Amino acid sequence: MAANGGRTTRHIGHALLRAAVTLSMVVILNFILFRVIPGDPAKLLLGGARVSVTAEQLEAQRKSWGLERPLVPDQLVDYVSATLHGDLGYSFKFRGRRVAGLLLERLPATIALVGIAQLIAIVVGVTLGMYAGWRRGGVVDHITTGASLALYSTPSFWVGMLLVVIFSTALGWLPGYGGYSPGALKGSLDLLLDYLRHLVLPVSAVALGLIGQYVVVSRAAMSDVVAEDYMVTARAKGLTDLQMLMRHAFRNAMLPVMTLVTLNLGYVVAGAITVESVFAWPGIGNLTVEALNARDYPVLQGIFLLLGVSIVVANLVADLTYGLLDPRVRQ
Amino acid sequence: MSENTVQYSKRSRERAIKDFLRQFLGHGGAQLGIVCLIFFFVLAAVPNILVGPLQTAINATGDFLAPPSSQHLLGTDEVGRDVLNLVVHGARISLTIALLATVISLIVGTTVGMTSGYFGGWVDVWLMRITDFFFVMPSFVLALVITPVVLEVMGRGGDILGFRPSLFVIIVVIGMTSWAFVARIVRSQTLSLKERTFVDRARVVGSSDFSIMVQHILPNLVPQIAANGALVVSGAIYIETSLSFLGLGDPLQPSWGTLLSLAQRAGAASAGAWWYLGAPGLCALTVALSFVLIGNALDDTFNPRRRVIP
Repeated sequence: MAANGGRTTRHIGHALLRAAVTLSMVVILNFILFRVIPGDPAKLLLGGARVSVTAEQLEAQRKSWGLERPLVPDQLVDYVSATLHGDLGYSFKFRGRRVAGLLLERLPATIALVGIAQLIAIVVGVTLGMYAGWRRGGVVDHITTGASLALYSTPSFWVGMLLVVIFSTALGWLPGYGGYSPGALKGSLDLLLDYLRHLVLPVSAVALGLIGQYVVVSRAAMSDVVAEDYMVTARAKGLTDLQMLMRHAFRNAMLPVMTLVTLNLGYVVAGAITVESVFAWPGIGNLTVEALNARDYPVLQGIFLLLGVSIVVANLVADLTYGLLDPRVRQ
Repeated sequence: MSENTVQYSKRSRERAIKDFLRQFLGHGGAQLGIVCLIFFFVLAAVPNILVGPLQTAINATGDFLAPPSSQHLLGTDEVGRDVLNLVVHGARISLTIALLATVISLIVGTTVGMTSGYFGGWVDVWLMRITDFFFVMPSFVLALVITPVVLEVMGRGGDILGFRPSLFVIIVVIGMTSWAFVARIVRSQTLSLKERTFVDRARVVGSSDFSIMVQHILPNLVPQIAANGALVVSGAIYIETSLSFLGLGDPLQPSWGTLLSLAQRAGAASAGAWWYLGAPGLCALTVALSFVLIGNALDDTFNPRRRVIP
């Protein structure tokens, strides 16, 4: 450890630097985008073109936001420092609401959706993929590989629409809209059960897409491991299939899978946007659609920042844990 | 160069192409992909001959949300337009967007990757830093914020090069945001190619950097670019469908994603109108999958040792 301690530190340093560069580019892109929108920014900040304001109000707004000062560096510095303090501005559509507050309000629903979907997808996808890779060329392999390739290229929101048609409209088993049933529901258990019932279809739509990915990757990882020399050695030592699978194959094959799973923690929020829109699920994705339709730029920029942060953090974690798990990277 | 060598290289090239085709077409996936793509390209090429001009609310021929019948093979939408008509016209729009976006992305990716790998040094460091950003940030997320802003700047009226502004913006934005992994692959190939003797030879003869890159390095990159280009098309279809579904498409030139968006707004799912939302989605899925299969088959043919997917 002492010998490659310097290398490990450098690896962490590089990873942190990359994350910092990407995040600053997200912030700068946000800054530029907001300033190229035509129209008076003071007016935009007061609530867009639909709100009537007096010239005095505009002047006061310009003063208080420092809009008469040069764009670079003054306004950029202000913008970055406000962003760092968690001040993301005010929404156009939800008049007077802080963007940061809106995002925090919607975040739990999205985390519930993508969190549960991730868990299910990891268990189902990795199990199926590893089995297909272990018994490569078998019936299970052919079926799961074909199905997951198809799932992999299917937009998740379309899967969601089909699920609504089948399970909500045709069979009437599950609700296909919103996060809770309208009407009076008493008792916290009833509320929770109702919430879970509403979660089933959106979670399935997100999970099916992820399962496709996880099957493809864990199958490839497992088939690589099976071909390794140490598996022949293990066989020669007289280990049974199960021992080989548990002691050697599974752990080594999990490495690339873990990386993908960690990376996906960041990407899956973005991927759920369209699915949330199908189900009117009250999370970040639905907020995105509302912001897009109302041209609510501050909210859109806030969402972009949120997605950027989650992606960068997930990448950083994947980078660092890969270094910890795989000694070859450290050396 | 004597005439003999030219003849020899010509013949060996022919043989190489034949070998390549035999191996490539030996993949079941590639065959399936090519058949599907030919079908959709025919639809996209002559939609007017096959199903007549694009129907609008004014010249719609059917009932509202009528299920498939002998008259309307894929049923009708919420204003009575024939879904088959919409889907066939959608093929042209979706494929055009995806292919043009891919062309942009391949040009940018190849230029950045080749420049970066060939020159090295600070050019490499800075170009790769930019590439890292686009590699980490998904094209869909970038397009989600850039597209509405650019549309606001340009306005939604009129048309640019025959496209409605929103489609034009989507093409450019997808192209400009999905080149990063092409750039990475091209860079690593360039790094190894530039050490080869034929590059040294060209340099000794006095070729400029530009002509070495275009005449000697670029031709050797074609296999990688082709295999990854197929995957870029598939990604572009996915992104275009998602963006249009969120309402960034154009209803006057409806792509498959826009049709899905219209179906969602008309409540097709809760009305049980499976034909209306099923047809465009199935088309997008088939085309995206075909490109993935072809890309994998190409990749497998060019470097058979690194197979990811059978």
